[in-house]
Amino acid sequence: MKKKLFGMIISTVLVAAMMFVLAACGGNKGGDEPAPAGSGANEPASEIAQVQANGKIVIGITDFEPMDFQENGKWVGFDAELSELFAAELGVEAEFVEIDWDNKILELNSGAVDCIWNGMTLTPEVAEAMSCTDTYALNAQVVVMPADIMAEFKDADSMKDLTFAVEAGSAGESVGQEAGFTVNSVQNQAAALMEVAAGTSDACIIDKTMADAMTGEGTSYADLGYAVSLSSEEYVVGFRKGSDLTAKLNEMFTKWKQDGTMAQLSEKYGNAVSIAE
Amino acid sequence: MFAEVLASLSKGFLVTLELFAITLAGAIPLGLIICFGSMSKITPIKAVVKFIVWVIRGTPLMLQLLIIYYGPGLILGSNWWGSGEHGRFIATIVAFIINYACYFSEIYRGGIQAIPVGQQEAGAVLGMTKSQIFFKITLMQVIKRIVPPMSNEIITLVKDTSLSRIIALQEVIWAGQAFMKTSGIIWPLFFTGVYYLVFSGILTMALGKLEKKLDFFRV
Repeated sequence: MKKKLFGMIISTVLVAAMMFVLAACGGNKGGDEPAPAGSGANEPASEIAQVQANGKIVIGITDFEPMDFQENGKWVGFDAELSELFAAELGVEAEFVEIDWDNKILELNSGAVDCIWNGMTLTPEVAEAMSCTDTYALNAQVVVMPADIMAEFKDADSMKDLTFAVEAGSAGESVGQEAGFTVNSVQNQAAALMEVAAGTSDACIIDKTMADAMTGEGTSYADLGYAVSLSSEEYVVGFRKGSDLTAKLNEMFTKWKQDGTMAQLSEKYGNAVSIAE
Repeated sequence: MFAEVLASLSKGFLVTLELFAITLAGAIPLGLIICFGSMSKITPIKAVVKFIVWVIRGTPLMLQLLIIYYGPGLILGSNWWGSGEHGRFIATIVAFIINYACYFSEIYRGGIQAIPVGQQEAGAVLGMTKSQIFFKITLMQVIKRIVPPMSNEIITLVKDTSLSRIIALQEVIWAGQAFMKTSGIIWPLFFTGVYYLVFSGILTMALGKLEKKLDFFRV
């Protein structure tokens, strides 16, 4: 009796595991093609058509000044306004959804959001997992540390003995590792800053855009600052693999760069966004 | 500033409270059903229920949240939950109810099996039906016996609600972290602890009172 029950449990586990693996493989293959596997014949293959049928495009964001942030209960910012323009071009509403940045690929592939548009740095992982647009803005990774010791560390070489907090999976993590630093990976960039403020790490490597907004007077990090940039990088927008929305947005980016829409927006948000050529 | 933080945290804590209340309302009855399943005399039902309880109790709730929310879209190719905050809330509730029902079911089972068999036999001798025996003899004694372990789980639930931030449900911890991410202010995150402390304090008192009230007829 006991043996039978045990056998039953084991076989159930094995069957469940196999189904999971098969389904996961099938899902991945489907993701590379315009039409996801398992979709019915009636379903439109084009994501543009699908978004238009839904009447809205769901945009995955985080609260990230100056790209996306809330003002009087409405999402504003450089990326938010561009998203609204893009939605208007498609003839749909833009719906902003706050996501956990660690889970952005999950959010996109599970269909919870239609795109990731939130000052996303182009990393090899992002390029692998998403269909990315052309670069529309530029960013840098900077080293944030207590302002009173900044003078002692003028370049990357002088920092070899420090410990760095970085966001797990972020661009800051990769440049830190490439530079041969001792890096501790934490949950997000805000947590990385807190590590420095709490003294549990000597410095952290985060986005310049974020460092500008988060350090200095009026914040909990008034004593922190940055002087050294480790790398320059590119902001892109990510759609699901094979989506035709990517080409459409590239078209719009070219248009917005030429007609000055982007320059105006950057000015509106304190020139914190450097637009790509 | 303080007023702004308080307003935002309170809004987040309202989501926490909703999650807490709906989870209890769903998990307490579902737990009883699972409990009956795990004590069933029909072997396949018992095996399946025990298997489910093993899986749910044997994996982290955080992982269950991720699988329940992202799984349908990733594995089956269709996102059941809809977009936006609403879908996240529903998925969180489903995950929490299933998880807590499994824990509750084991508490119930312990409570039911602790009632001496002699009482059921006595009921049978008196000509009572099985359901009469359960509802009129066993259940009342079970309820008072399981209040302390249930209180324990309920207090744990208050704090476990914070796990839902992994799928970006905007509860109180999320609200606290938002200040950290946007304005670079740390104290709101730490201040969320006050909300949890006050609420679990109130619950502890209420559950203590309930325990006292049920403290009759002790053998």
